Amino acid sequence: MRDTRRTRAVLGTLLITALVLITVDYRGGEGSPLRMLRAAGDAVFGPIERLSASVVRPIGNAFDAITDAPGERRRAERLERENQRLREQLRAQRIDAERAAQLQRLLGSAGLGGYKIVPAQVISAGQGLEDTVTIDVGSRSGVRPDMTVMTADGLVGRVVRVGPATATVLLATDAASSVGARLEDSREIGIVQGAGRRGVGGGGATPLRLQLLNAHAPLRVGQRLVTLGSQGQRPYVPGVPIGTVERVEHSIGSLTRVAYVRPFVNFSTLDVVGVVVAPPASDPRDAVLPPRPKPAQPSTPPPTPSPSGSASPSPSPSASASPNASRTPDDTED
Amino acid sequence: MLTTTDMPPGRNLTATAVLVAALVLQVSVANRLPLPGAVTPDLVLLTVVALALTGGPLTGTVAGFCAGLAADIIPPADHTIGRYALVYCLIGYVCGLVSDEMTRSAVVPFVAVAAGALAGTLLYAGLGMMLGDPRSAWEIVRRVVPLQVVYDVLASPFVMWAVLRATRRFERDHARDRFDLPIARYRTLSSRM
Repeated sequence: MRDTRRTRAVLGTLLITALVLITVDYRGGEGSPLRMLRAAGDAVFGPIERLSASVVRPIGNAFDAITDAPGERRRAERLERENQRLREQLRAQRIDAERAAQLQRLLGSAGLGGYKIVPAQVISAGQGLEDTVTIDVGSRSGVRPDMTVMTADGLVGRVVRVGPATATVLLATDAASSVGARLEDSREIGIVQGAGRRGVGGGGATPLRLQLLNAHAPLRVGQRLVTLGSQGQRPYVPGVPIGTVERVEHSIGSLTRVAYVRPFVNFSTLDVVGVVVAPPASDPRDAVLPPRPKPAQPSTPPPTPSPSGSASPSPSPSASASPNASRTPDDTED
Repeated sequence: MLTTTDMPPGRNLTATAVLVAALVLQVSVANRLPLPGAVTPDLVLLTVVALALTGGPLTGTVAGFCAGLAADIIPPADHTIGRYALVYCLIGYVCGLVSDEMTRSAVVPFVAVAAGALAGTLLYAGLGMMLGDPRSAWEIVRRVVPLQVVYDVLASPFVMWAVLRATRRFERDHARDRFDLPIARYRTLSSRM
């Protein structure tokens, strides 16, 4: 009765349309004519999402404040101290008149590594199986596809598509993402692939998977990773912290070992991020990594000289050789 | 968009507005909720199911296709265009077919939502596997699907209620010439929740 011939005809037409769309888009790849549809989607939904994010943000903030009150107070205290420190730095900097370099320092890790970043806020997130977010900067702010996105903590992902006022970021945890990585101490090169952070079970804490190119290189729990940097610094600039090796899996009969990595960035609460619009002049290596939580073993290789060491407000992160191993790193009082 | 003869024209506009609202809420609110497992309820799918259950197979099919196509091109989307269009179109049709069963039992909407969520996620993932999408690997799908179904069923009463509230005005005008029993029945159900 309700399922008339007309309904079936409409269903058939629409299903065929969908199949044609899938085929055209799949065969076309990056040059597919349907990318125009995406561009239209960016232009139409981008402003709506920005608007909706600006409405939703205060509500979310209130909710977070209730659920995380003790943490918030600690955070407020920390921020207050940090604010104090930054204000002092700012005053000193004004006297110094080295304005550009000092503003960079204000931007924390971005300044440490020498990256030039455009700050942005996450306004929406992807659906279903994909780990993507939209940020509120676009081509008007100088953002282009294949730029690195990071927070003060570490790597977030890369820009895949840019609209006029929004851009889509593929997170490092997405299964379609792979990032060249380097172990902090042994300099071994590997590939970090996203394993998807959604769902029940193991994916939550360790959504990244590391494979070293050298099968015999030492791989231990607790080793830290930074980005290797891509050809021409795109899509990934070098030296951005990625995460810590959490678990090493020895599979029998396999040529490579797989390690699961806990990222430095908390991907489920992403808010303020930075898009690296200009890569550093020289590879910052480990300079951007946070200070080690505990003094390292004396067997660690000597630390690398950090190119921007003079600009570093915190003690050199990997300077953990035995003479000053007892010194507690305390960057709040520096 | 929705050009159907047996429905008042105002309802098409309402359905479009409801779908756009669901899409925007989905990407900017629901997908950012820090829920356990990082899986989020699929509000768009729930809206399509709700529209199909109240409007029949034709509404469900067309609404599903339009919602799916919009979900394929809304900014953070990064998959082959047409995947959600195909999936939601089919789900809308099938849920529209059972819209007449709404009078029989109060659990029909929940069963429809659960079945729709399960079928939708699996179909979407299956399409991804056929297209060689690394995100649709079985290890990932296996982790996501159970939580997805649970969250969809939990969120369904709210979405159903909101969709019915939004379309109520046009339904009331409509009911004057042809009293629509299933909708009236479901409305009393939803007002009790």
